[in-house]
Parts: sequence; C-alpha cells; structure tokens
Amino acid sequence: MMMREKRRYILFEMISEGEVEKHRLQNAIWDSFYSLYGDTGASRSRLWLVCYDSGIGLLKCSHRMVEDVRAALACIHSVNGMRVAIRVIRVSGTIRGALKSYSGVLPRNISR
Amino acid sequence: MPDFFMLTVHLDPEIPAEEMLRAANRFGYKGIGICSEHAEPARESGIYRGVEIRTNSVSELKRKLRRYWSKVPLLAVRGGDKKLNMAAVKDYRVDVLTNPCGEDWRGELKPQMLELAARNGIAIEFNLSAIIGSRRGERAHILRQMHENLELMRKYGVMPLLATDARSIYDLRAPREMIAIAALYGMEREEAIRALSEIPAGILTRRWKKGREVERL
Repeated sequence: MMMREKRRYILFEMISEGEVEKHRLQNAIWDSFYSLYGDTGASRSRLWLVCYDSGIGLLKCSHRMVEDVRAALACIHSVNGMRVAIRVIRVSGTIRGALKSYSGVLPRNISR
Repeated sequence: MPDFFMLTVHLDPEIPAEEMLRAANRFGYKGIGICSEHAEPARESGIYRGVEIRTNSVSELKRKLRRYWSKVPLLAVRGGDKKLNMAAVKDYRVDVLTNPCGEDWRGELKPQMLELAARNGIAIEFNLSAIIGSRRGERAHILRQMHENLELMRKYGVMPLLATDARSIYDLRAPREMIAIAALYGMEREEAIRALSEIPAGILTRRWKKGREVERL
C-alpha cells in the first residue's frame, strides 16, 4: 500500500515593484528551488503553487521540505525583471489552518 | 520570540528611513541599523544611524574611527583587503567587520585575525544577499567560503551577524527566511537566531564593549 506523504501549506506574501502573473511566479519558485536543491530535491519537494493573486499566495509542499522551500522563496529577488521580496505568513497542514488568523484579502479561487 | 534587528542596511538615498522601518517591522524586525558614510541623526525610535567606514588606507580608517567612536550606535568597517581587515579587528572601537572576503569572495579569514575579533568583541557579517543574488558556480563558491568562515568563527568564538546589505524594502528577508538561508552553509538555527537578535542588540547597547572605555582611559 502506498503511504500518502504529509503535506504542508505555506501562505506567503510577496511585495513587488509591479503586478506579477501566477505562472511567472511559479517559474521563479521552481527555478530558485532547482538552483538550490537540484532535480532530486525538487522531486522530493512536491512543490506546487496552489493559488496566487495580488501579492498573496498559497504553496503546497512535502512536510519534510518546508525549510528548504522557505530558503528557495527567500532566494527569489526578481520576477520578470521586477524586484520582489517574499515573506512566509503561516505554515500549516491544512489550507484552513494556513488561512487561520490571516485577515487580509485572499486570492479569488480560495475561501476560508 | 526574541527581538530581531537588521543591521548594516545601506539605504538608497531616495527611500525614507521611516518607510524602511515600517517594512522591516512588517517582516518581523524590531529595529534597523542604517550604515552610511557620515553620521546622521536618527529621529524615530527603532532606527539606529551608524557609519560604515569604506577606505583602502589604514591611517584613514584610524582617523575615521577616532572621529565617529562613541558618536554613533553602530560603527562598521567594510573590509576585503587583508591589511584593512587586520587593522579593523585590532581596534576594539569597531562593532562590525563587513565584507571580510572582498567583493569577489576570494579573501580568507585568518586565525590571527579571528582571535583579535573575538578578543575585541567585533562581529563579522554574513551578507546573505551574496547567496540570494548569485547562481550556480558562483553561489557554490560563496556557500563554501561562508561554511569555512563559519567553522573558523566557531573555533575562535567570533560573533556572526546576519544581514542582507538591504538597499530597499525588496532586499529585506524575514528572520525565519534568514535562518533558512543561513542553514544552507551550515549555520544552526540557534546560532542564526542569536546572529539576528542577541548579537545585534548587544552591538547597539555596546554590551560587547563593556569595560573597554575604562581600558581606553
């Protein structure tokens, strides 16, 4: 029987010089992660950008790789030529947990 | 959680310090230490206006140390050159030695230099923007150099300071993210927390220089 690996949801905020599209951010996250941890690290990370809109995003990853994802996010300094800085707001095992106590505006396709 | 401080901020002149402090507060820092070439008065609490001495001459370094000592809460020296690094760590008036390996990351920390830094209560900066802004071979080289520096600093008991050489709000990283980056070159979580909280707080309150003023008299 296959074991389902525990996952973590990372709610983050990105400040940027301008509007960043989701697919560009996703590429930047993957690029940063590959650069730091290579193919094997990326394959273990189970990294996925669940949603992103107007500076707030939600990432899904393996529970073993949270600190690695944190480092990869911190190493992103520009997306599509625009300077950015990413700050992790909360990490949780569920989407609901990640959004708990966050009172700001959420991406359109996600509800509390 | 302890109070975190981001020192050795090199703010762009067009960005107001208050805006930088607001962003730093949002990222989880209690205060910022802004290093410029000349002493400037700080108007808001949480902003510490320091001086970073940039020179290639040891005599000019000594002259500037005399001028700024005890007038600013943070006195940093931008190192790189072997002679300059040595002159900086010999002088207990220095709080932080920044950029000790030079811009190209080819310089090394020498044991004699680290002994002096430990004795004189001088912290050595780990500038994480070098990791953030580099890729592939260059980043690998920087990570290896930082790892070697860290091992030596542990051996001689030199205080590490974590910073990102922030020029704008986009260069800020939250403390937990800083800890995660520092782990890339082998810094333990507790060490990194200390390098972001206790050590910078001690620099700003001159805790590491206790008794040295008396010695000078």
